Amino acid sequence: MIDLRPVFFVIGILLATLAVVMAFPALIDALAHNRDWTVFASSAALTLFLGVALVIANWTPRFEIDVREAFLLVTLAWVVAATAGALPMMFSRLHLGFTDAYFEAMSGITTTGSTVIVGLSSAPPGILLWRALLQMLGGMGFLFMGVAVLPYLKVGGMQFFRMETADRSENALPRLAQVAGGIAVIYLGLIAVDATLLWAAGMRGFDAVCHAMATLSTGGFSTFDNSIGHFKSLPIEIITIVFMLIAALPFPLYLQLVRGRPGRLFADSQVRTFLGLYLATVIVLTLWQWLGGGEKFGDAVRTVSFTAASIMTTTGFVTADYQSWGGFVMVLILFLTVVGACTGSPAGGLKIYRLEVLYATARSQIRRLTQPHGLFAAQYAGRPIPDPVASSVMGFFFLFALTFAALSIGLTATGLDFLTSVSGTAAAMGNVGRGLGGLIGPMGDFNALPDAAKWLLSLGMLLGRIELYSALILLWPDFWRG
Amino acid sequence: MIDFRPIIHVIGILLAVLAAAMMLPVLTDWLNGFEQDAVVFAACAAGALFIGVSAMLAARTGEIVIDNRQSFMLATLAWIVLAGFAALPFAYSNLGLSAAGAFFEAMAGVTTTASTVITGLDSAPPGILLWRALLQWLGGMGTITFVILALPNLQVAGMQLFRLDTAESAHRAMPRAAQIVAGIALVYVALTALCATGLRLAGMTGFEAVAHAMAAISTGGFSTADQSIAHFRSPLIDAILIVFMILGSLPFFLYLQALRGNPRRLLRESQIHWLLAVLAVTILLMTAWHWHHSGERFLHALDECAFNVVSIVTGTGFTTAHYDSWGGLAIAAFLFLTIVGGCAGSASGGIKIFRFQVIYASADTQIRRMVRPNGLFIPYFNGRPIPDTVANAVMGFFFLFAVSFALLALGLGLLGLDLLTSLSGAASALSNVGAGLGPVIGPSGSFATLPDGAKWLLSFGMLLGRLDLYTVLVLLVPAFWRG
Repeated sequence: MIDLRPVFFVIGILLATLAVVMAFPALIDALAHNRDWTVFASSAALTLFLGVALVIANWTPRFEIDVREAFLLVTLAWVVAATAGALPMMFSRLHLGFTDAYFEAMSGITTTGSTVIVGLSSAPPGILLWRALLQMLGGMGFLFMGVAVLPYLKVGGMQFFRMETADRSENALPRLAQVAGGIAVIYLGLIAVDATLLWAAGMRGFDAVCHAMATLSTGGFSTFDNSIGHFKSLPIEIITIVFMLIAALPFPLYLQLVRGRPGRLFADSQVRTFLGLYLATVIVLTLWQWLGGGEKFGDAVRTVSFTAASIMTTTGFVTADYQSWGGFVMVLILFLTVVGACTGSPAGGLKIYRLEVLYATARSQIRRLTQPHGLFAAQYAGRPIPDPVASSVMGFFFLFALTFAALSIGLTATGLDFLTSVSGTAAAMGNVGRGLGGLIGPMGDFNALPDAAKWLLSLGMLLGRIELYSALILLWPDFWRG
Repeated sequence: MIDFRPIIHVIGILLAVLAAAMMLPVLTDWLNGFEQDAVVFAACAAGALFIGVSAMLAARTGEIVIDNRQSFMLATLAWIVLAGFAALPFAYSNLGLSAAGAFFEAMAGVTTTASTVITGLDSAPPGILLWRALLQWLGGMGTITFVILALPNLQVAGMQLFRLDTAESAHRAMPRAAQIVAGIALVYVALTALCATGLRLAGMTGFEAVAHAMAAISTGGFSTADQSIAHFRSPLIDAILIVFMILGSLPFFLYLQALRGNPRRLLRESQIHWLLAVLAVTILLMTAWHWHHSGERFLHALDECAFNVVSIVTGTGFTTAHYDSWGGLAIAAFLFLTIVGGCAGSASGGIKIFRFQVIYASADTQIRRMVRPNGLFIPYFNGRPIPDTVANAVMGFFFLFAVSFALLALGLGLLGLDLLTSLSGAASALSNVGAGLGPVIGPSGSFATLPDGAKWLLSFGMLLGRLDLYTVLVLLVPAFWRG
């Protein structure tokens, strides 16, 4: 039997945390004499009450959690957190419906950054801060999950990272807590640095904080309808590019950096591949825009390097309407949307690590074809890839493709056109937040979509964030048996 | 060092066969009063025959022994060289095709893709039309031979699953590979004849019936009319073609077994169950949706959906409707259906049903293992456990397919094509389907207007897809050429 008590216990703690964080927007709104502060205060009270009730009701002296409970917890945590996060949006001055509010909250907590709110510049500051905070918390939650949960659940080849973060000895848990704590400090520290720089570059303090949270969590919510493009400022764009890229690299390596092993960061194969891919994309797109599109070289470099960073790090900020750059760019951006960044970062997508494993496996297979009796072990980062890891990664890739096809066909069934459906699915499952086409493209938002489509996309964001398996596994009859 | 002599020798034989096949269009054109075209074909046949026979003689070795590396070379070279020679009549007839166009058309034929760059088919000389039909037909037979004889032994992309099949029964029923191939060829010819008879009785002219039968059984899809099968406006013809397209995408080896008194294998084969299930579900859903949205009569909607879905999934590429104007759902569905493909052991392309079964079984096993880390779970295919190496090879194929698709689509985008044309063109070429989506290469368009670069790229895509990727990609690995 699955014991639900530890699951609800942890969710209770999570809700209580969310309630505490809701105090910030309440405070901001109160200071700005905005009546929405009551909404935040009552949402916080309700969430806190529920959270504490769950904690008390499910208190067990010996806290133990097994594999199945952990899967259930991962999925439920995200679903419940999004529901709690939706409360203030529903009852605030914006009067979003439940669908819209849930979509917005899910988009925040999964660090996707698709928005249904039009007229952000006139939205109450509490809501804007709440959106930023949701991403910040979601990003941190995913970082923890990537270090402490997914490797142990063997999700999509993540078991490869188990040995790195902790050995199996008795002191595994304290060490994990230490690593998680260190990562949290680095994450918050980077947000502080980014916010300070943005402020120094001319943003208002409030905008700087919101954008820093959206950047480091690779979320992409802005406080303006036209995103970073609103500021028309080169320094702000450069700072944002740099911090988006920082946010897309594996955070455990920053811990190594702080502990005096900086070499590890640039020796890491994910980091090299990701940055290499980024540079290649920037060069190709710059040439395309400069030679083919007739843009000035400087302008081309500026818009291209921002757009490529925003999509590849799965952030989703926008400074230019890249849809007008032609068919090639659209195809490239569609594919980059699902590629994603490094494991161990808050970014989404298939992840560079998995693509490297897939590539290494395919390569060793091809070599085996030429010499059937040769021994070719696929390697990642100098270590041979164990067979279960390789099949786990390949299974992930297949399930991703299958889910992608199912979701995009589902979206077309709600009446959306092909481009919106396919790119919307990619944007949701890759946790990028920007699609293609007139509706949800770089200059659009998700407001006009039918309700059914918003629910499907919320599901896509959830699936992408918890790396498919944790949710799909709940659909297997085996899971609930015995 | 790789010994090229056997490779050249075999290609010489194939060229001679191609030259012999060219005599049929010569005859057709001559009898129908297209003397000029007949001369072009005759000249091309003479050229192909001369080079073929010289290659045979020049590279003659005592006994033909071909090892793994030579097989990869041979398969890739054979398809390229044959497409090159098959393109000659297209280039020198008065269709006005460029080199890229002629090669594209020939490659589309021999890979049973059947994307066409020729417009005005209805008034084209019969020799050309027959030649296109023959190319697919020969390409289809070549593919089946290659799939049954070579691929399983080369252990390409999970095809080793089917080696056991052939080897096991080889002991009892079929002693020699040549016999198997001859048997399959007979089945292939018989099915084509049956299909042609059906089509003739349903109202096609004899010529059209033969050409379309060849296209259906080989899952090619070249038609003799610009409008493809929509030209005939006959539900009966649609129904006959649906049946034979499906028959053309089932494992031919099992037909042979059925004829030899073992029909149970054919009925029990899980690939066939899956394929039919996928077709039935897709057709039902699509019909319901199309019927609801278009307001057409139910039977007409059913006819349109069934025909086009079967045509795309089996990799044929006939069309009877402009389904890309049916809305987003149809476009997305047809794009994904394009890469599904039929069964292994047929001339159908794409990822193929058995690979989906294998990956699904492995993913299912993985999920069960995640729930119960100490349980013992084994993935099965057709009632037999799937070896790890096969599962990995299949999943590797799936990944390489995705990468090839992405690179091909990006390349097409670079050449200036729009998003839908790039995506559907890449999918259609890699899966050897032949029909794309959108105004340019969709059911209402043709590949004629694409830039030459795109035609070369798509030709390469067809070749890659036809030879299950690995056969071609292995040639790009430096280790292949070493030692």
